[in-house]
Amino acid sequence: MPSYATYLAQRFGQFLLVVFIGINLTYIITHATPIDPVEQSIAAVTSFGNTSPEAIAAMRQSLRELYGLNGAPSEQYLAFWRRIVTADFGPSLSAFPTPVSSLIARALPWTIGLLATATVLTWALGNLLGGLAGYYQDKISLKVLAVIAMALHPVPYYIVAFVLLVMFGYLWPLLPIAGGYAINIEQGFNLGFVLSVLSHALLPALSLILVGLGGWFLGMRALTANIVGEDYVVYAELAGVDRRRILGSYIMRNALLPQVTGLALSLGAIFNGAIITEQVFGYPGVGALLVAGVYAGDYGLVLGVATVSIIGVSAAVLIIDLIYPLIDPRVRTV
Amino acid sequence: MPVGARLRSILLAALVAVVLPAVAAAQGLIANLPRNETLILENPEGTIKNAGWFNIWAINAGSQSNGLQQAALDTLWYIDPNRGLDGVWQNSLAAEKPIYNADFTEMTVKLRPGIYWSDGVEFTSADVAYTVATQIKHKNMRWSAALGLNVDSIETPDPTTVRFKLKKPNSRFHALFTVRWNAIWIMPKHVFEKVEDPVKFDFNKPVSLGAYVLHNWDPDGRWYIWRRREDWQRTTLGSYGKPGPTYLAYVDPGPPDKRVIAQMNHELDVIHDVAPEGMFTLAKQSKSSVAWFKGFPYAHPDPTLPALIFNAQNELFKSRDVRWALALLIDIKAVSMASYRGAATISAIGVPPTGRHPEAYHEPLQDWLQDFELDTGKRKIKPYDRGIGQQIADMLRPSMGDQIPSDPKAIAAAFGAGWWKTDPQAAAELMEKAGFKKVGASWHTPDGKPFTVRVVVEGEARPVMTRAGSMIVEQWRRAGIDAKVDVAQGTLVTRRAAGDFDALISWSVETWGGHQDLSFFLDSWHSQFVAPPGTPQPPRNWQRWSHPDLDKLIEAIRNIGFDDPKGLELGREYVKIAVREMPTIPLMAYNVFTVMDTTYWTGYPTAADPYTDPVPNWANSRAMFVRLKPKG
Repeated sequence: MPSYATYLAQRFGQFLLVVFIGINLTYIITHATPIDPVEQSIAAVTSFGNTSPEAIAAMRQSLRELYGLNGAPSEQYLAFWRRIVTADFGPSLSAFPTPVSSLIARALPWTIGLLATATVLTWALGNLLGGLAGYYQDKISLKVLAVIAMALHPVPYYIVAFVLLVMFGYLWPLLPIAGGYAINIEQGFNLGFVLSVLSHALLPALSLILVGLGGWFLGMRALTANIVGEDYVVYAELAGVDRRRILGSYIMRNALLPQVTGLALSLGAIFNGAIITEQVFGYPGVGALLVAGVYAGDYGLVLGVATVSIIGVSAAVLIIDLIYPLIDPRVRTV
Repeated sequence: MPVGARLRSILLAALVAVVLPAVAAAQGLIANLPRNETLILENPEGTIKNAGWFNIWAINAGSQSNGLQQAALDTLWYIDPNRGLDGVWQNSLAAEKPIYNADFTEMTVKLRPGIYWSDGVEFTSADVAYTVATQIKHKNMRWSAALGLNVDSIETPDPTTVRFKLKKPNSRFHALFTVRWNAIWIMPKHVFEKVEDPVKFDFNKPVSLGAYVLHNWDPDGRWYIWRRREDWQRTTLGSYGKPGPTYLAYVDPGPPDKRVIAQMNHELDVIHDVAPEGMFTLAKQSKSSVAWFKGFPYAHPDPTLPALIFNAQNELFKSRDVRWALALLIDIKAVSMASYRGAATISAIGVPPTGRHPEAYHEPLQDWLQDFELDTGKRKIKPYDRGIGQQIADMLRPSMGDQIPSDPKAIAAAFGAGWWKTDPQAAAELMEKAGFKKVGASWHTPDGKPFTVRVVVEGEARPVMTRAGSMIVEQWRRAGIDAKVDVAQGTLVTRRAAGDFDALISWSVETWGGHQDLSFFLDSWHSQFVAPPGTPQPPRNWQRWSHPDLDKLIEAIRNIGFDDPKGLELGREYVKIAVREMPTIPLMAYNVFTVMDTTYWTGYPTAADPYTDPVPNWANSRAMFVRLKPKG
């Protein structure tokens, strides 16, 4: 039987390989984009103002040198990996000379804050309610909840988001509809700012929870419903074990394993940012940054966000792989 | 306690603990600012990635229209795209118009005295000289190439005089320092001279030469707040009076639907642009919202001319007969309806129908257009229909009622004058004249292949223009041409420069609007600037088209002064050449649905009082600040 250390080394090797392949693929894809960052910059400079064709030709050459686009592809590739290993993604071409790492560092906490909270809440609520619905199958309130979850689950996210915007932004204007906090508010760890951040996060979080809840709910209800008929559950009930204990310790604990995997993957995917959420709600984050980078042909920025995302997802899978044998020793022998 | 009851208690507690305080905190869009002293405007650049960057002289490094160029920067002159506060031409930092020598190799500027930077340092000729010298020295700065190509030397004989000696004659050199949306902004010498590398300096916090200073800004780039200077009288805008708003907030309100909601909630005073549908919603549901026109078509026509641009280096479009045939297959009324839902201001000629251009070009040329003849190879036709603007108005009247004007002049101002009659028969004759053949229902090129035209459109980023392109493709397809919509999305800019298109919906004509001179775009149409196929084309001659007659005309314009009356004659000659040759098919003005909320402010510019352009990312929109008054 292989030792846990061997298992760990294998999984870590896989992690490094996935990251290496992922980053290389991203590098190839971003450099294959038909969007030329130099032309994007020139268009931004000239689309309204006065300029002369001769001046633009000179500017085009200057920008190619400034952005480091004149070297051979192999030189650019090696320079890229030299920077990556030091966590330096170079300057953003669309916000030159600001480093990409600064832009990501500014945006990432917003994404993590919103998505981690929403993901954990959705997962916890969905599983709790799904477990209850799978066990207490005759409860009307839980049946109603199941109908709502099933109805909401297939609705495209952007429709739910837009309905929430209209409901709470216009018809019943209780919540802010854009941004991460109020304009001109004093930023820092003070009550006003914290409440402002919370109020701005409510609608995007609610939209994510409403749409995400159904998946966890239905999954958990199905898992629970299967386990309810198992011999050991029937035996426990016949033996007079408390029903809450049966649900918590006998049913949900067994049903949770695949859900934990799903949670870890969802948490890893946080680093992608919630592109639609951030666009619809004007919420600051890496998703919005990624979209801006793609439109500007900003290789450095797109590569930076994609690399963080690849490492995030791969690390989540690695952590799950490492934790699984501790939860379920059978996995170690696989 | 039963499970259900416990769950309900937990959920209720969570709701009370989180939601209610957050909802309570949500009241009020702007914290710590008096709303009735704050003008909130949309910055169409959206959320700024590197929010703390204010060095506008570095190329594309930070935001431009976050209030920086509208409220805090200044330069020598402004030309208003509409009528102007006291005329179209505004001497800003300059005390008078530019003074050229006879052969346009020298330009002298007399500066206005008594203008101060926001830190108390007086603005002088040294700032102008420093701006020019620094840009030339650092080739990665924004206006380095333009200045380096033109300026041989610069002299400052006294604090209010600057003399430019030019490398070659240039009768339009002053245009570099004349605002049409933007221009070369003057740098504060006393700040930048202490900096090691001006290209890498963020200029945060910016020292202002305008009537406002930076008050606060969002590190996440969503908003910028500017405060009126205590010494606003010592700025050039101050010469027009005290700016009304104490604070200006330039914000990213999000996508169009949220801009509409924000204005309905009175949280956004000036929307930069929305889709026609958003405009119609506001017109119907928000009593306090006003636009450029009181009724339909509402929008401000920018001095920009969206057109169908042919790639003249493509063999298929080298013949003007083909270009004309394709123009005669277009039904502009349907294009107007599809793109702007009828709220378009059409133009048959290569000049935007806005600002002072209708009186300078469109109206005087109506008779010439009416008499213009086109030889189809079989007969001569007169393709112009001066009543199409009227027909669009009549078409809209049943649904829009009183909002549609009935006075012919008002109709021409709102919807444009005439356009080309749809004439499939004449189009077919022109195609045959060019050697094309109709095989069955399809047109084939002279070498026997199906006539395929890819029309590149931008896609969802510019829905109105995309709809216009789609409608034209549909009309061409009905005529037997294998036309296709090619959605470029973010690649449009790269493809346009590379000439990677058969035809393109874009614009290669941008003008001052308020001034008749056309050199702003026309100079770039000279054959000397047409790039060989496969190499990037400099702006703005995206059609890569040239003509010997036009070259002569451009050279003639270069040799006369900016205000020379001959310029108007030459401009009209350009229009006639462009009509005969049809290198692009002009469609309409770029109508911008800028919507203004009068809940807190009155005195916005409108078609009835066109003292400036309300479109808030234009630096010219600063004129609005001195005319705005708090309501009540």
